[in-house]
Amino acid sequence: MALLEVSQLRKDFGGLRAVSDLSFQLKRGEILGLIGPNGAGKTTVFNVITGFLPPTSGRLLLEDESLVGLKPHAVVKKGIARTFQIVKPFRNLSVLENVTLAAFLHEPNRSRAEAKAKATLDRVQLCGKAKANAADLTLSEQKLLEIARALATDPKILFLDEPMSGLNPTEVEVSCELVRRIRQDGITVILIEHHMKAIMNISDRVIVLHHGVKIADGTPQAVVQNRDVITAYLGERAA
Amino acid sequence: MTRLLAAAGILVLLAAPLLTNNSFYQHLMIMVLFWTLLGASWNLLGGYGGQVSFGHAAFLGIGAYVTMIFYLSLGLSPWLGMLAGGIIGALFALPIGLICFRLRGPYFSLATLAVAEIVRLVALNWEQLTAGPMGLLITTLPPISFGGMAINWESKLPFYYLAVALALFAMGLTYLVSRSRLGAYLLAVREDIDCAEAAGIDTVRTRVVALALSAFIVGLAGGFYSLYFRYVDPDAVFAISLSVEMVFIAVVGGLATTPGPIVGALVLVTIAEIFRERFQAGHLIFYGLFMMVVIRYMPEGIWGRLRLLLGRQG
Repeated sequence: MALLEVSQLRKDFGGLRAVSDLSFQLKRGEILGLIGPNGAGKTTVFNVITGFLPPTSGRLLLEDESLVGLKPHAVVKKGIARTFQIVKPFRNLSVLENVTLAAFLHEPNRSRAEAKAKATLDRVQLCGKAKANAADLTLSEQKLLEIARALATDPKILFLDEPMSGLNPTEVEVSCELVRRIRQDGITVILIEHHMKAIMNISDRVIVLHHGVKIADGTPQAVVQNRDVITAYLGERAA
Repeated sequence: MTRLLAAAGILVLLAAPLLTNNSFYQHLMIMVLFWTLLGASWNLLGGYGGQVSFGHAAFLGIGAYVTMIFYLSLGLSPWLGMLAGGIIGALFALPIGLICFRLRGPYFSLATLAVAEIVRLVALNWEQLTAGPMGLLITTLPPISFGGMAINWESKLPFYYLAVALALFAMGLTYLVSRSRLGAYLLAVREDIDCAEAAGIDTVRTRVVALALSAFIVGLAGGFYSLYFRYVDPDAVFAISLSVEMVFIAVVGGLATTPGPIVGALVLVTIAEIFRERFQAGHLIFYGLFMMVVIRYMPEGIWGRLRLLLGRQG
């Protein structure tokens, strides 16, 4: 059984079809890369699955339970956590408070929620910054903070929207390592990323979107050789 | 340190009436506590949750009228009536919250303003229930016995201690909320609603609960108002100026702090009185100037600034 099953998913914005009849399955324990040129509809797919936007039509099943019509917080409760492309920490709160808020989801007691938040910060190696103001972190630290906040909700699936954009090569390596470790902890990961080397490196499978349509779905090696993919990225002549 | 400060504050509140027999000063002290109560309730939703309501007078008026009507028409003890005022205020807040919290930012504030005006107009025109612009009057308040002592309500002292109890209740509740999961969720809602949702927080429910708690306290305050003044009419308890004053007190005192409202109430009530004595109607100019100075130079409020100066988080 697929952990997450997306079928015939469609999202229209007025006359614009941002996502067109997208179907795919996410298997338990895999790392799935979602790539495509700018404007391909990747973030829209994330927003629809995580409840931030209602789908125009289509089915979304998490372990055979429908996610359609759920508010974002209810989707999180079901086990899907996300990060944002443009980082959104709670800027006026400390790093620890940021993560504690999310840990409260399954742990109403403050001291236990804080303990869990600290453990989660440890997982992303941000423990040293627990007391810092979230606004004072570097970009890469803020991205780690977002991942920690998502992890603190005990997700089954983690949706990462460009976790590596704007990071330097060392930080990208750290981030890749983190994604692998998260998977080892039993969490399935789906990530949008433009950093090709990274995504080819860590993904078990890659889906390519172009103008809202899925044009390829396979192993990273197969996808990079796909004619449609090359055309989508580089134009007719390159293919 | 925080506890010491709180204990000292409570001691001062309990001892304050011993300083004066002048009933005007006693009245002022009662007003400070009354406004503390209102400021604290507004602070719960507006300070912690960042949801700026310009319509809290609606709950104040409902509390006041419920207390009055339960006492005058049903003969219910005014003290139970006060509680009923709070509860009905909170119940009235639920549908308002469920509808208005679909709106974000300034739209929520505008909606609360509109709701308060609607309630005021209903009170003005529903004459069978509220006697319209004539208002309702309590002529006698029955004395109650408390621990073998009969308390009669002719002097101001019992009202003062009632107000102390209510204000401490409101601040205690604020403190508990600020330490709880609800308090943390309110901060998250204030910071960023999308982010809060992504962290698994039901942002509508969080805000509705805070609004209902807040409305409960204001409803109690409304009950207190009707018993203390023994007279309510729509313009006295549903006025927009009341809603705005609650905002001022919370902001001047310090948003999202426990002692902020009492500091705000103390300063603003005192300033209003001092300038009213000197300049009559012109006092509002000075009141406005004072507000501008605070907002410009102490945006975190008086207590908020003190807390920064003392360099701690309490």
